[in-house]
Amino acid sequence: DALLPAPQNISILSTNMKHFLTWSPVIVQGETVRYSVEFQGEYEREYANESWIPICECSVITATVCNITEDISATVAYNLRVRADVGARRSEWGTLKGFFNRITTSLTPPLMKVIADGYHLLVELEDMGPAFQFCVLYWKKGQESRMQQKVVKEVSSVIHLDAMEAGPDYCVKAQTYVEAINRSSSFSQTQCVRAQGNSQSVWL
Amino acid sequence: SVTEIRSGFTAIKANIQARDPIRTLSILSYPHSLHKVKSSDRCCITHHLFNFYVDKVFKHCKTEDSYVNRKISSIANSFLSVKRKLGQCHEQNKCTCGQESTEKFKQILVNYEGLNVTSAAIKSLGELDILLDWLEKSR
Repeated sequence: DALLPAPQNISILSTNMKHFLTWSPVIVQGETVRYSVEFQGEYEREYANESWIPICECSVITATVCNITEDISATVAYNLRVRADVGARRSEWGTLKGFFNRITTSLTPPLMKVIADGYHLLVELEDMGPAFQFCVLYWKKGQESRMQQKVVKEVSSVIHLDAMEAGPDYCVKAQTYVEAINRSSSFSQTQCVRAQGNSQSVWL
Repeated sequence: SVTEIRSGFTAIKANIQARDPIRTLSILSYPHSLHKVKSSDRCCITHHLFNFYVDKVFKHCKTEDSYVNRKISSIANSFLSVKRKLGQCHEQNKCTCGQESTEKFKQILVNYEGLNVTSAAIKSLGELDILLDWLEKSR
């Protein structure tokens, strides 16, 4: 039996603290190839004899992607590896080139819905999980120098920002902040609304 | 972060504490509770305890349950991350050790070495909520 090749092109897709390991499929004509994934944190490398830990949700799977979010739960450097199995044949481990540290996750601006409820300026933010806080900036159009800020630590429901005067537009933009990695996303697009008798909202 | 350590520990707390048959002894709280530590000594005790868990405890906590092992890895790597930050404070002399904290930590080591290594490690892991409660209360 020819040796089974190790999985190649192993890489991480990490956005908004959700981390996925992906790799290219190993092709064996007429056979179903299965894969298994293991990880190794800095603790394992330095204090536990460089041991590896299997991810059981990604053991003998046919998919070429594995959600490793739950296991990458510290801001340290992780090693990741994948191997292939066909019947009794097993490949060598294919290992991610370099380490992965969640501090490199890409952070996108939050989805935001600005609501003018009569004379009340409200905002609704996307729930992105417990790791996320939000910084919301709001101001009267033309008075950017008097911008106000509200930090939202938990997204529960609609957030009340301010009482509006009739007439001018009120503008809002928001960014996320992840305390665990001490980083922020860029700001969302600015959305402006105007106080009215009836409710008016913009969802972008 | 402490929040992540807490959520990782909560997921396996019952499993780990069920493996500790000796309910009459405590590693962290005998003879005195951590809450008796003076505020000036807190940083030093925290630094010592994070080193203690990383250097001595986690490596002896391997179980037959892969889910529990994964959670212990998460906690251990989070501890390592915090230990590094505390180490920087210690190097900049912002985390000095008084007589009381030195004595307290010595007692913890005596309690630990009074048991066989696996029992002591599992008991220490099972007492993480004592440490986490103290950390959050003294923030």
